[in-house]
Amino acid sequence: MGEYKDFSEEINRKIEEIQRKVITGEVTLLDVELFPIFENLKDSLNTGNLNRYSITYKNASQLLIQKFEELKILINNIDRKEGFLKFLKSNPEDSEIYQLLNDCWIKPFNIESLSLDFLEYSRDKLSVKRGYPTSIEHIEKVEVKDTFLLEVPEQKFTEKMLIFYNNIKNKLPCSFDEIFEDDQNQIRIYENFVYLLHLLQLGKIKYQKETNFLYI
Amino acid sequence: MNEFTILMHLLSNKTNKIQIGASKEEILKALNIHGKNESVYFQDLITHLSSYIEPLGLQIRFNPLSSRWYMAFEMQTSDFFSANPFEGKPRLAATLFCTLIYCLKNLGIAKIQDIKEIRKKKHIIEDLKELRKMGYLQLDDKLGYVSLTPLIGYQLDLNKLFIKLALKVKDQKS
Repeated sequence: MGEYKDFSEEINRKIEEIQRKVITGEVTLLDVELFPIFENLKDSLNTGNLNRYSITYKNASQLLIQKFEELKILINNIDRKEGFLKFLKSNPEDSEIYQLLNDCWIKPFNIESLSLDFLEYSRDKLSVKRGYPTSIEHIEKVEVKDTFLLEVPEQKFTEKMLIFYNNIKNKLPCSFDEIFEDDQNQIRIYENFVYLLHLLQLGKIKYQKETNFLYI
Repeated sequence: MNEFTILMHLLSNKTNKIQIGASKEEILKALNIHGKNESVYFQDLITHLSSYIEPLGLQIRFNPLSSRWYMAFEMQTSDFFSANPFEGKPRLAATLFCTLIYCLKNLGIAKIQDIKEIRKKKHIIEDLKELRKMGYLQLDDKLGYVSLTPLIGYQLDLNKLFIKLALKVKDQKS
């Protein structure tokens, strides 16, 4: 059923809106792009909405005919150079003429001896996604005279984290600062903070940013 | 090297301040195209090159004042680069506009006196001299005539301007 979308009402509303603006003099049809309406009609037309769309298509075509009429009048006006002179004789301000020239300026492209090959090459180079080359940094070696032993914690991380969780869960809900306020040992605070982060990530503890409160 | 390489060179070539690009005849000669279908082939080349350079923000244009084809930045890109050579000089732009309209009416030349009368401003002669210095006009002080060089045809979309003007005149009438 999803395939039989019907935008006819929406398109009709758009057409009516344009007609209203034209009648009230808000815009002329020459200022309005009708292409999106026809494109929309074409894209959403299917066997399910054919009947309704034929009327919408007729309305859109009517608008297009009106636009052609306006264009014909405009072309006739362009041919009348006297009309342009009349505009000058109406003594327009410099700023009005300046405004008229706006959006009409062009910047010529002049680079001598420029080939299409070079342009294509430049375009291709520009469109390639660039990543930074991987740099290999050598680690400074430290000589250890004695036998080196890696200290391994007695308990696993998860176990230690759960011990911390059991210690604080009766305190909750409480503010973030209250969790650490009794402890003076910076190393332990840091260690507990890491557990807390993991507990938050696991969703065992939740945090409300607005009140700075931790809760389960 | 192919036809497009030659076309790119011809269309982006600046002979002097007021001469840019190439005429149809020059292009046909450079590409050694002749025969009864030369115009069709020419149009085909221009259309194809246009589609190639479009992603680069460039387009091929025709200057009706010099009958030459040339390459320019797209209108939106031109706005970005501030293509308006009269930025902050509305008086000069207005004087050039009046000259343009009079030249359009009188087959390419305009009387200095007419421009003075329509502008109703002082220093019009100074404006015209400044525009000559910028390369837009040729001035004949003795005979009292002024004519346009092709330069403005490269820098101003005359079609768009006349359509805007026609709409304005139409609005004024209604």
